[in-house]
Amino acid sequence: MNCLEFRRQLGVDPQSAEADFARHRQECARCAEAAARAVDFEAALRRALNVEPAAQLAESILLAQATQQQRGRRTWLRRGGLLAMAATLVVAVGLGMRVEARPLSAQAVEHLRGEPEALTLTKAVPAASVREAFAKRGIALRHDISGEVVYVGCCPMGRHLTVHMVMPGDTGPVTVIYVVDDRVRQSEDFQREGWHGRSVPIGGGTLILLARDSGQFDGIEAEWRTALQG
Amino acid sequence: MSAVNSKQRQFDALVRSLSGDLFRYAYWLCGDEALANDLVQETFLRAWRALNDLRETSAAKAWLITILRREHARLYERKAPQFSDVSEIDIPDERDTVQPESAGEDAVIRAAIHRLDPKYREPLLMQVLGGFSCEEIARELNISAAAVMTQLFRARQKLKVMLGDGNKEANVYELS
Repeated sequence: MNCLEFRRQLGVDPQSAEADFARHRQECARCAEAAARAVDFEAALRRALNVEPAAQLAESILLAQATQQQRGRRTWLRRGGLLAMAATLVVAVGLGMRVEARPLSAQAVEHLRGEPEALTLTKAVPAASVREAFAKRGIALRHDISGEVVYVGCCPMGRHLTVHMVMPGDTGPVTVIYVVDDRVRQSEDFQREGWHGRSVPIGGGTLILLARDSGQFDGIEAEWRTALQG
Repeated sequence: MSAVNSKQRQFDALVRSLSGDLFRYAYWLCGDEALANDLVQETFLRAWRALNDLRETSAAKAWLITILRREHARLYERKAPQFSDVSEIDIPDERDTVQPESAGEDAVIRAAIHRLDPKYREPLLMQVLGGFSCEEIARELNISAAAVMTQLFRARQKLKVMLGDGNKEANVYELS
């Protein structure tokens, strides 16, 4: 290997372990100096490339995977139950019964039961991620909310499209679900399965709050009303 | 241990050991932190569904990077108007607006890497961050090994030129 070949190899792969490369470096003082500078530069390059991911990245991925699996299982259960459902519907129609959709409040509690991991997160997600989740649902937030959000996801809830979030609170986490495609007629406070809840019509959809304690609902509702309506 | 538990443990280990490397690769590929997070998450969700295809643990990083590159390409197909080529993104000149927390050589080199043409940047990322050989990069990018060597050489040369312009103290080397 001559000097020109050595310098070319140095530009391609300064960490090269080829025998010819190593031999030339030992024999040629000038190229050895160039190699030392190249190694310094590679170290600087590695340092610069070493951007740190968000501390909760791995946890977020595992949560998303667990959630996806849960949904997959529910889908299979639903498919398995299709025949039984069809039979029930036939009987219901036969009896002249009216089949009504379950209220959003019940669907929200069921959805929460399927994603308990979301309530264990504590690290704030960037406001940009919240804006992005709403944008995916076709909604441009008028303002970022001042309260922290520690989980955000675009979740299906039954047949509805939602943005599902969790906000930490003094008395425990508050689940915030904005149902994009269904608007309740009026605000309602409710209790289901040990959860305090509130459903509020805002914009074209419904904001649902769920927590063990309803003390923070007024403030959170006001924040989201401003964010969604301006 | 059941097969399901074994698969879950394998996935957990992959996520915990490689999500940082994948994030760095995604970040330098797309130039946007939030988008990089999405890309990494989508990559791992696809990896979970195809985990049975992974035969060797030592190949996991290369396998994940391949999935991530496909996801990145899909993103461009789906959202072309929203995500311009990284070379077209207006990267603030950090040399002119040095913040206390970003001052120093790292920030200057990062700005230069952002400015590097993707055709030079990606082989460099694959080599430096991914640990790929020239032959592996060639297979992944579907170009010849000779072309990869040229791009790696030019990538370093172009960085040298960019850093030489604005950072006289940068320790770059030359082909003289």
